[in-house]
Amino acid sequence: MVDQSIAGTVKVTGVSEGDRSARARAVILLLCLGLAIAVLLSLTAGASDASAVNVIRDWLLGTVSGDAARNARDELIVYDIRLPRVILGMLVGAALAVCGAVMQGLFRNPLADPGLIGVSAGSSLGAVAIIVLGGTILAPVTALLGTLALPLAAFFGGLATTLVLYQVATRRGQTSVATMLLAGIALAALAMALTGILIFMADDGQLRDLTFWSLGSLGGATWAKIASVGPIIVLALAAMPFLARGLNALALGEATAGHLGIPVQRLKYTAIVGVSAAVGASVAVSGGIGFVGIVVPHLLRLLIGPDNRYLLPASALLGASLLLLADAVARTIVAPAELPIGIVTAIAGAPFFLWILLRKRGVVDL
Amino acid sequence: MIEARDVSVDIAGKRIVANVDFDARPGEIAAIVGPNGSGKTTFLKALSGELAYAGTVILNGGDLSAMKPVEVAVQRAVLPQATVLSFPFTVREVVKLGLVGGRSGALPGEDTRLPERALARVDLDGFAGRFYQELSGGEQQRVQLARVLCQVWAPVLDGRPRYLFLDEPVSSLDIKHQLIIMTIARDFARRGGGVVAILHDLNLTAMFADRIFVMHRGRLAATGSPRDVLSDDLIEKVFDCRLKVGVLPAGNMPFVLPQSAVG
Repeated sequence: MVDQSIAGTVKVTGVSEGDRSARARAVILLLCLGLAIAVLLSLTAGASDASAVNVIRDWLLGTVSGDAARNARDELIVYDIRLPRVILGMLVGAALAVCGAVMQGLFRNPLADPGLIGVSAGSSLGAVAIIVLGGTILAPVTALLGTLALPLAAFFGGLATTLVLYQVATRRGQTSVATMLLAGIALAALAMALTGILIFMADDGQLRDLTFWSLGSLGGATWAKIASVGPIIVLALAAMPFLARGLNALALGEATAGHLGIPVQRLKYTAIVGVSAAVGASVAVSGGIGFVGIVVPHLLRLLIGPDNRYLLPASALLGASLLLLADAVARTIVAPAELPIGIVTAIAGAPFFLWILLRKRGVVDL
Repeated sequence: MIEARDVSVDIAGKRIVANVDFDARPGEIAAIVGPNGSGKTTFLKALSGELAYAGTVILNGGDLSAMKPVEVAVQRAVLPQATVLSFPFTVREVVKLGLVGGRSGALPGEDTRLPERALARVDLDGFAGRFYQELSGGEQQRVQLARVLCQVWAPVLDGRPRYLFLDEPVSSLDIKHQLIIMTIARDFARRGGGVVAILHDLNLTAMFADRIFVMHRGRLAATGSPRDVLSDDLIEKVFDCRLKVGVLPAGNMPFVLPQSAVG
């Protein structure tokens, strides 16, 4: 066969300029370390002076330090209160950040976020319906599904919202950002109005739950809750890396992604179902925690570039770490009372996001 | 070999392409020319599997409508008119997306640093580390061509010819790069691949095309070699413009033809 290229005439310089994969791998390693520190910090921090370090040391070495009653109390606090909360925080933080990155890739826009475009509102509607109506009209559903009723209702609420949003905002393979944001606002308003009706019907006990829950909180994390939503989130997150290459190609547009051999329709539906499942499960256990899904991927894109093969795992790690830190702040800043974590993430995230927009105004075109 | 028979495309109830017969053969550049709105791009989108069509398209013996995206992607690469990126990719990262299907067909020695090689071919040596969004329109177009070249680096794979579909590949380029890009296309064809290119510059078309398909109002108006097709009558009929083919401008009016490139 004839020469496949004109390689002889091609000068190829030594270094791989524009290849950020080595840097991305280094950042991911650092993020692993960061997550480990955040976990340790979360296990240690809290309203009680229970020492996770002591508990972990005793557990590792089989030794007993200090008096037995105190140890038993510390163990209870660390194992049954703080550890489930840390695991739930990691799951929810990773889910929100990865879902943000996936939606941004899917809509080809850095502003897409489950919280901003109404997916979380749809999930909330599903969850609130179960909380308020679970004892009456929806009693057969809760009886049938048990603890899965809440996450599943949140999932279908999020799924319905995302599907409607995609249908409205996408015409002939092109997603209009203005339409997406406006449709998202409309859908969120509708979902919140319906949620409002449900809240109006709620009794006093339900109301207290709902108020705290709607601001977002990891409080009340139990092993049972982790058992009900953990598998959903883990499964959804495990599917996401398979979308990375396709999402990269999608940055060139749906048509070009198809030309490159990506099964675009399947990619879109997998992404939408996965995002709805993970966001739905997160909302079901922790309420509306905002800005993680938009700030984390944005920050990482500045650091390691938009390649989803690195962006998705890095988002999971940073999302988990940041949510743990936010939760540590929420638990300690007004101790012994507790701030809803959604307030912490919004107070930190919203100005940060505005700053990014101002700084990158030229690059992040709407 | 690509054989399109009786291909029609409707968009929103309106017939944009009507009953077009078309062939693209390995070793040849097939140029599609015609006035704006004559259905060239729509036809190419049908040919690349992007739009639904009536009729048949056979790609290397297989029915296009029955093939999976990944099977088609191994056999042809598509350069769109313009590509807007939504995230800050570097030039190298964009070019590397051409390898997402994994069958560039590069030889073992070549496959490392294929993005750099492809960039060097389109005269963008040293641009790998730049951000795509910071480049000019013509440079972006050449980056996309480098990406497309990576996808079908070997013009022949598994004994089957592969194809480049180019939608106005030189429309935003200066004369030097027009010639470079068209030479790349010709080289791809010489080495056993096939090229389908939508072109507006009739001089470049005459210089590089082996066969010309002239489209007019969604239909095929003429087919043949440049010598057969590019006539005064046809240009007046199709482009609605009275021109004389092969006549020099009067007096001392300067004119520059790509055919006159030296070396």
